[in-house]
Amino acid sequence: MTRRLLALLLLWAWACAAQAYDITDDTGHVTRFATPPARIVSVLPSLTETVCALGACERLVAVDRYSNWPAAVRRLPQVGGGLDPSVEAIAALKPDLVLMATSSRAGVRLRALGLKVLQLEPRTGADVRRVVVTLGRALGVAGAEALLQRIDADVADAANALPASARGLRVYFEVSPAPHAAGRGSFIGELMHRLGLVNVIGPEQGPFPRINPEYVVRAAPDLIMASQRSLIDMARRPGWAGMAALREQRTCGFDAEQRDVLVRAGPRIAEGARLMVQCVRQHLDKR
Amino acid sequence: MNSTGLAPTPLAAVPVGPGRATALGLALLALAVLGLGLGASVGSTGLDSVLNARHDPVAWQIVWDIRLPRTLGAWLAGALLGLSGAVAQGLFRNPLADPFLLGSASGAALAVALAFAALGVSGMVSGSSGAALAQAASPALARLGLTGAAFVGALGGVLLTLVLAQGVQQTLRLLLAGVVVGYVLGAVRELVQLAQPDVLQAMQGFTLGITGFVGWSACAVMVAVLLPLLLAAWLLARVLDALTLGEDTARSLGLPLAPLRALLIAVLALGTGTAVAQTGLIGFVGLVAPHLARGLARSTHGPLVLLSTLTGGLLLMAADIAARLVIAPQELPVGVLTSVLGGLYLLWLMRQRTRAGRRA
Amino acid sequence: MNTAALATRLTGARIGAQPILHAIELHLAPGRWVAVVGPNGAGKSTLLRVLAGLLPGDGQVWLQGRPLADWPARARAAQLAWLGQAEGGADDLLTEDVAMLGRLPHRPWLAPPGAADHVAVEQALHATQAGELRGRRLGELSGGERQRVLLARALAVQAPVLLMDEPLAHLDPPHQADWIAIARAHAAAGGLVVSVLHELGVALQADELVIVRAGHVTHHGPCASPITHQALGAAFDHRVTVHPVAGQWVALPRVPQPETSHAD
Repeated sequence: MTRRLLALLLLWAWACAAQAYDITDDTGHVTRFATPPARIVSVLPSLTETVCALGACERLVAVDRYSNWPAAVRRLPQVGGGLDPSVEAIAALKPDLVLMATSSRAGVRLRALGLKVLQLEPRTGADVRRVVVTLGRALGVAGAEALLQRIDADVADAANALPASARGLRVYFEVSPAPHAAGRGSFIGELMHRLGLVNVIGPEQGPFPRINPEYVVRAAPDLIMASQRSLIDMARRPGWAGMAALREQRTCGFDAEQRDVLVRAGPRIAEGARLMVQCVRQHLDKR
Repeated sequence: MNSTGLAPTPLAAVPVGPGRATALGLALLALAVLGLGLGASVGSTGLDSVLNARHDPVAWQIVWDIRLPRTLGAWLAGALLGLSGAVAQGLFRNPLADPFLLGSASGAALAVALAFAALGVSGMVSGSSGAALAQAASPALARLGLTGAAFVGALGGVLLTLVLAQGVQQTLRLLLAGVVVGYVLGAVRELVQLAQPDVLQAMQGFTLGITGFVGWSACAVMVAVLLPLLLAAWLLARVLDALTLGEDTARSLGLPLAPLRALLIAVLALGTGTAVAQTGLIGFVGLVAPHLARGLARSTHGPLVLLSTLTGGLLLMAADIAARLVIAPQELPVGVLTSVLGGLYLLWLMRQRTRAGRRA
Repeated sequence: MNTAALATRLTGARIGAQPILHAIELHLAPGRWVAVVGPNGAGKSTLLRVLAGLLPGDGQVWLQGRPLADWPARARAAQLAWLGQAEGGADDLLTEDVAMLGRLPHRPWLAPPGAADHVAVEQALHATQAGELRGRRLGELSGGERQRVLLARALAVQAPVLLMDEPLAHLDPPHQADWIAIARAHAAAGGLVVSVLHELGVALQADELVIVRAGHVTHHGPCASPITHQALGAAFDHRVTVHPVAGQWVALPRVPQPETSHAD
């Protein structure tokens, strides 16, 4: 009898061990999961959106104050921001997994408290793919590849919606009024490339460079994409009022909601591509 | 009544003597213990965690592993800043001297940014990434960690300020030099951040004044630094006393000023660097704590340094508790509260001085 | 040289790049009160600082026959006490704490003040009539009261050599008289008092007068001597004359007479 019990025990232990899997995050940490996490806290909006896009939205128990999509997420308790999450609030929720950016100090603290933390920060198109796949594996859901294919298809559709005359249009995309621009290496820049647009920021500047305003004036883009708030003061920057794009109002101002879609490297990048296409068509029709 | 018939200033009404300083010190310690208890009961989950701590392991973790070290850590960081502030104000004979104003904060931030750039953000932040360490130009530097980098940077910043000001004689030149160094080192830091965007993100997290990430190991580091610094400052208090009469007099009394001043500057830099490494940049504590201590019990620098330490600790601990209490379950940034508390106190101080001036 | 409590032989002394003092040789014997006078900007304070070892000069200074540089700092501080001009700061310290600072050269590093220290502070406060100021903070005192407390600090050192720069600042006549008594008593006990003074009347009460002009010592002699009086007049471009009044020497400024041009 005892030998049977022992055999069953060993079988059960082996089954458990076989189920266990390791996930490596962007900081190089390896986290072992015995079972897929059922209670998830996410303090980075792009990761929140990815979890929901993978169909695991109901597993989220709390988010940060900036996560606002999909609508269901807004009803969840908020545990602070990405840089300053409340350690106590997170611990009190007994999460199986905490998702955050690589640059947050909270990761060290939460791991010290025994919580499982994955630090992921997508910045390029390749990052987005990797994060989707990693999260798919971590959550134990099968939809990662399908999601990626859907995103690719949507981006291709958006690209097709652009008329041929738009190819080669020179665009400047401003991420923040510092001014920080989206360079060719960023996911925004890659989207622009797939849409056939030319980014005035050269590849040598990096993914999200802080640029010299003079550079933009010299580059003389055909179209400027920025937030509505940035556009208000843009003409006042020295030398910018003379730019053809500003003089002829060839600008697109995105409101807060649209900005969220565009700057988050998550599952909604296809929608971001659509917004960019909408912008380009608006101004093509003007011509 | 003195010979010119001036009424004594209102502050003269405070009774003086070593007895009062001791009584005040004990009172501050008692309040600190009380504060620890309060800090353990306040947070996003409220009193429930304390009540359930016995049978709920998560509640126990919240009270013991999160709230207590955080409250104690706030006290320790405030104590380090209060100590550094008292040393700075005594060393430079200027009640406006704030350890941050003398280049220590900008130096610490720059050194941390350089460390991030050299060793990789992940390596520094998570503290264990093998890949980052392998990339490191010097593994010894990696072991030194955030605190070490911040200390070296703080020391460098203060030394640069002193070199620029050509000594401590002219306080205006000293403060101006501190401002200049702050700008210059800040600019260098921006360059580093531009070169590596990773560093920019990490620095935003580092410089934000947060007491919420302090655990027991961070407390241990701060205690390990605070105790020897406090001892050193207390032993060197005599130098600060002699310096209040001027450099010439201090030298004529036989004090070897140069090495002792160097030691005091090291105390200042290490205290500030350690506090900044654990809790980011939290303003006002280093400036206000010595004033508060002096206002409550005037004395020579020996007791003053101790009292300033206790006051600084209490101040930051109170700010941390208030940060958690005011809009619970959300949290206010603790730097906002120290600015409000510190600013209000300085305004009150200004009014006192103006009133005293008008009466005279 | 061996009998001098304080002596110097300098080729010059500079503050920054500016030369202040030129070739000077001075021997000051113990048991004397020496007053240093001269026109503004002559270099009196600089000379005093060089003698105290606070400013390096091009040359040598000897204290009790030994070169100043050979003295260990604490031993030198116990031999030579310094009171500077217009010392700011220390507003928060109590009177007795300020006076106790004078005992630093005698106290072991960590020890609290001992019985000898308290006695010395008591004596010093008593001598300067600052005992009534006990318990008050330096910042609330008037100029004269503050000066008396700082003086007490210098006396508390109980050093044989006392160097004081403008010690009478803000002191009213009764307290000036007290100070003269202190200086005389100190000299009579075998110590040396060197004081830079611009109150010529008080300076002429001293035993010896050192006249400094344009970085040179133009005269060093007894105060009672008529040669000294002439030298004093010469140092001030003959705009000062010395007269005996009520048994003391007094220096009077030579006031230009008003012109008699009234038509009355």
